[in-house]
Amino acid sequence: MGFLCNWCSYAGADKAGTAQLQVPPNLSAIRVMCTGRVDPQFVLKAFREGADGVVILGCHLGDCHYKEQNYRALQRHRILLAMLRQLGIEEERCRLDFVSAAEGEGFARLVTGMVEAIKPLGPLDLAADRHGSDQLT
Amino acid sequence: MRIGVYFCLCGPNIAEKIDSEAVRQAVERLPGFGYYRTVEFLCSAVGTSAMEKDVRENRPDRVVVAACSVRDHEETFRGVLARAGMNPFLMQMVNVREHIAWVTADREKATEKAIRHLGAAMRRVALHEPLERREIDVCTDVLVVGAGPAGLKAALNFAEAGRKVCLVEKEPVLGGLPARYEAMFPDMECGPCVLETVLGDVLHGPHAERIEILTLSSVADVVGYYGNYTVTIRQSPRYISPDLCIACGECIPVCPAVSGNPFNYGINGRKAVDYAFQGGLPNLPFIDPESCLRTTGNEDCRLCREACPVEGAVVYEDSGKQVTRQVGAILVATGAGLYDCSRLPNLGYGRLPDVFTSLEFERILAANGPTGGAIRKTDGSPPKRIAILHCVGSLDPRHKEYCSGVCCETAFKFNRLVAHKLPGAEVTHFYKTFSVPGKRGYKLFGEAGARASTRFVRYDDIDRLEIRSDGSRGHHVVLTSPGGGSSVTESDMVVLCPALVPSEGTARMAQMLEAATDRFGFMEELHGRMDSVRSKVRGIYMAGTCQAPMDTQKAVEQALAASGAILAGLVPGRKLVIEPVTALVDAERCSACRSCIPVCPYKAISFDSEKDSAVVNSVLCVGCGTCVSTCPSGAIKGNHFTDEQVFAEIEGVLS
Repeated sequence: MGFLCNWCSYAGADKAGTAQLQVPPNLSAIRVMCTGRVDPQFVLKAFREGADGVVILGCHLGDCHYKEQNYRALQRHRILLAMLRQLGIEEERCRLDFVSAAEGEGFARLVTGMVEAIKPLGPLDLAADRHGSDQLT
Repeated sequence: MRIGVYFCLCGPNIAEKIDSEAVRQAVERLPGFGYYRTVEFLCSAVGTSAMEKDVRENRPDRVVVAACSVRDHEETFRGVLARAGMNPFLMQMVNVREHIAWVTADREKATEKAIRHLGAAMRRVALHEPLERREIDVCTDVLVVGAGPAGLKAALNFAEAGRKVCLVEKEPVLGGLPARYEAMFPDMECGPCVLETVLGDVLHGPHAERIEILTLSSVADVVGYYGNYTVTIRQSPRYISPDLCIACGECIPVCPAVSGNPFNYGINGRKAVDYAFQGGLPNLPFIDPESCLRTTGNEDCRLCREACPVEGAVVYEDSGKQVTRQVGAILVATGAGLYDCSRLPNLGYGRLPDVFTSLEFERILAANGPTGGAIRKTDGSPPKRIAILHCVGSLDPRHKEYCSGVCCETAFKFNRLVAHKLPGAEVTHFYKTFSVPGKRGYKLFGEAGARASTRFVRYDDIDRLEIRSDGSRGHHVVLTSPGGGSSVTESDMVVLCPALVPSEGTARMAQMLEAATDRFGFMEELHGRMDSVRSKVRGIYMAGTCQAPMDTQKAVEQALAASGAILAGLVPGRKLVIEPVTALVDAERCSACRSCIPVCPYKAISFDSEKDSAVVNSVLCVGCGTCVSTCPSGAIKGNHFTDEQVFAEIEGVLS
């Protein structure tokens, strides 16, 4: 599952398309106007709906169309990772990165890399984890 | 709920990779499905008119368009819906071309992905609301703050376009810093002459009646937003009636109070009633209450009023005035000052005599300056050797990292003026690096280099330069090399060319307008390259050195750019269209924590204490949605990107 900001990363994904690069079809991308809009609940929702990984892509730091909101996304992401750890979700499953409107190749590489990084972790089985923690309590 | 789905094949672009028929079979089983159309080229004239007709005939509740990137044709298809009599926001696009067809080699996988994404769009679009673009009336008048070259040029441009302008200037005279220059680089025209073309028109030209000039004034308060500002301006008393004064100057010689003349940086004195400098416009003296005897101890002094040949022209009772004006946009042109040289104590500025800043030296060179244009030391004698220090406080992380880009040309201008005024005087340029860009920058640089009396000495670190006084003989500029050796340059006058820094007025206006400044204190642009005259706050524009160090040419270009942007945005008879994709606060749910206010760089959110709730100004909101995800109470709704809509899309793509 990917959350792409309208101005840089969504356009970068478009660029990957125009260049006819290969992007793993495992990625399901949703457009938001800015990574600043990505509520941590969106990420949790994606995991609950069966995503094995979530990638939040915004403009490079300093290039945000809305000035500084990707910094806020970055701050939230750090807190979110701590929360995911507590839930037993590996950090590798939730990534925040930056793709400019020109970086079609970077987008394709990043998504491919993310898919490759998650594969060894296997599917995220929240039900099993929950079951496990139930047993502990 | 009936959703009409339009699937564009985009010729072979999409058709080759996605099986439209398989998509149809999958989505027709989904809730809300109304009908499905496969179109060869939906964005073409044929495609759009067929779609318009189809929407008008079938009257779907919602529309999903599967085609190219939202960034390509969302507006196209919104237009189609609007023409078909449907709210354009009741549509969701799926980017099956760039994000699926073109990046997925496997047709089966591409088709499967397209099905998930269309399903997600159908779930999402069902939750879309009909949003309306709002229109509001705007005031097309403009406030210009600062009457230097940029402010003057902009004011004139507005007046020529038929707009009313209020031009606010803190000084008693117009023209900003260049009005005080003997000559301007690169062509050595006199400063007032360069300004004259604009100043003449601002004061007396065919459009002058639309320009209200308020000298000795400052902006006291600004309320409102783009298109609708109410500005309060405080004008200090001049004590001289502009209507009655005939500028004979009879009041000046009789005045017994003398104090340092701020227009000449205290190099000479001025009477309490005096002109700022000869030739300053408007051509009126003014009384400085801080040095006038009437405020400093002798209330009965009336010498200037008695000397004045016009009854009522000297007005001791003047208490200034406060005015309010309605404007639609504010142009800040408050200029720059110089880096404080006393922060480099090794240079002796403020401690040693005959160590001047570039602005002080400008006045010494000026015919209307403290020495009548003669280069003289404090003891009255002409200097024989002048040291000019470039890069003072520039290109230095301990001071200012940047190069101001104007000091070198200023220094070479000084070189030429010295050569003309004091033939034979030696000039030594101490520099870190030279910056003389542009098609004329080389001219004065080349001239200086060709002059036998000129020397160049390079230094790396300003801390290795020291100005030492040698009593009555003058100064030594001592340059210590990294190895420890030192070279001594005798000089009896030193001119420091410091970095340009934002003026106090710039800091004050930026703070009042809540417009962001960069780490140097210059006003921050909306975009460094594409929008350098707009601030981040809609309606607040900037021109000249309040935005960055620059020369007069660029400052005036910015003034023209900013006035162009303002004239294009605020047009008489045209309303301001407010896009509906903004944030909205539910006052009932707002817990008044104010977390949302600082996250908005556009200053679109304020707190309404009566409602006890945050309020979003939709004129200023750009719809980034950061406040929506910041609100811990879920009280802020991001139009067109609501939590429910995004959740539905997540469920859809992962189903």
